[in-house]
Amino acid sequence: MSDAGPEPTRRTFLSIDNVAMYFGGLHALDGVSFEVERGAVLGLIGPNGSGKTTLMNVVSGVLKPTSGNVRFGGRRIADVPVYAVCRLGIARTFQVVKPFANLSVRENVAVGAMYGRNGSRRSARASFDRAQELLEIVGLARIAERFASELTVPDRKRLEVAKALVLDPEVLLLDEVMAGLNATEVDAALDLLRTINQRGTTLIVVEHVMKAIVSISTSVVVLAEGKKIAEGAPAEVLASPRVIEAYLGARYVKRQRQRETDA
Amino acid sequence: MGGLSGNATALRVTVAILILLAFVPLLHSGYDENLGRSVLMFATLSFGWNILGGYTGYVSFGNVVFFGIGTYTSAALWQHWHQQSIPLAIGCAVVVAVAFAIVLGIPILRLRGHYFAIATLGIALATEEIVANIDWLGAGSGQAVRPLEAFSSYYFAMWAVCAASMLVTYLITRSKLGYAFVAIRENEEAAAVLGVDATRYKVIAWAISAAMAAAAGAVFAGANGFIDPPTAFATDDNVFPIVMALLGGVGTVAGPLIGALILTAINETLWSHFPQIHTLFFGAVIVLVVLFLPRGLLWLMNTRGGWRGVVAAFGAYRL
Repeated sequence: MSDAGPEPTRRTFLSIDNVAMYFGGLHALDGVSFEVERGAVLGLIGPNGSGKTTLMNVVSGVLKPTSGNVRFGGRRIADVPVYAVCRLGIARTFQVVKPFANLSVRENVAVGAMYGRNGSRRSARASFDRAQELLEIVGLARIAERFASELTVPDRKRLEVAKALVLDPEVLLLDEVMAGLNATEVDAALDLLRTINQRGTTLIVVEHVMKAIVSISTSVVVLAEGKKIAEGAPAEVLASPRVIEAYLGARYVKRQRQRETDA
Repeated sequence: MGGLSGNATALRVTVAILILLAFVPLLHSGYDENLGRSVLMFATLSFGWNILGGYTGYVSFGNVVFFGIGTYTSAALWQHWHQQSIPLAIGCAVVVAVAFAIVLGIPILRLRGHYFAIATLGIALATEEIVANIDWLGAGSGQAVRPLEAFSSYYFAMWAVCAASMLVTYLITRSKLGYAFVAIRENEEAAAVLGVDATRYKVIAWAISAAMAAAAGAVFAGANGFIDPPTAFATDDNVFPIVMALLGGVGTVAGPLIGALILTAINETLWSHFPQIHTLFFGAVIVLVVLFLPRGLLWLMNTRGGWRGVVAAFGAYRL
């Protein structure tokens, strides 16, 4: 991880350029564009089915978009295969966690240390050492020898984060890593994300816990039905009628306005 | 660490058995030597199947293709160039099989699960048919392979091929390569996100798998003295190694040899006592293994599950 000093770059760090993703007749993403600055924390929100996870899949290379492209450090990466996107410096977690069930927690993370960014220079032994460091950071060091299939849900989320971090990413995509955590655990997770960000990693956070989004994001993008409907500072965006409408429906907004004019 | 090799005690015991097997020709019994060579050959085929099926999670029903390629390489060397050196035959067989594995693997390994299994089965059937129509390889009537004077050479060669296959498997489990294979088995998408180039490592796994099968085939051809399509692409040579790996322990180093020993023992006993219906019993054994020991004997010795796993399996079937 590099020092977080803002580099005077002319080209954009990461940009989503008019990305569309169609599954047959379903337009999961429809002409979505935005830019992410180096060192930012971008909150990506929207109602269920608005295309957040699809966008994560496109940026990480898991899905190839129907049209449009993703540019990272001046390179178009839509056609780059998943394993190579990871080596360029984009890591992700899965909303539905995908641990290697028959491997230990440490082995799970070690696979990333072996094959991810900088992995080609590491021996198997060095990869296990690196994995152990990451397990200490996310708080799983005590249970490093357990099989991944034996972990509780919050621990599986932690494992997912450790597997992404071991790739030494420049951009980390976090897909609902806080779902199912209690308030204390959410605070701990937020602290962890802040630490990661301060070390220079750019974060894109998909989350339903609004408190988490507001407290950590430097900017927010809102998706609804595959389109970007708002973008800007968190407090501003969340107060915008269009966003409230997308979440709660047009009738709620109308009633709210009615009440305001009555008062 | 070293979590991919399987139970350490079982591995030591298996190495000891393998060393003992090296002395079988000293018994000067043709029957024992043939039986021992058969165990070593099936174990080698099973080691090969296990690299792709056990470690990488791609179940192949077509590995006999590479065994067949090995036998025919050996036969062609004798028929067309009058070469009968065993190391030369093994070397050429491995090169030819690896080339085939790469050419076939790049398109076929894009398929997953049942589709891959069926494609490999198709390749096995097609290859036998193609070879049966190539005159240069003796077509349907086959080819003679002149045996060496010292017949036990084939035994020792098969032993060396088997020991090398086991050693290669062990070294893979201790290396980064082994973790790429297992990550693909556990979840191919998650492996790719961690930087594992799945297509590349699947092809490597298949090539290693093919090399082991071809080496066994090259030695078998010489020992058998004659090769034709039904011998080179025998169903037994395709199915037994899979059952042996399942019985011994899929994705363990020792599993294939343990499975080969037990299954050969069962097969010989049944054959000598019930010659007419031994295949029926043998089929029953296969079904029982798949029902109650789906991951093999060695997994019983692991920390999890243990004998309780077998009891649970019995319970699940209400027996």
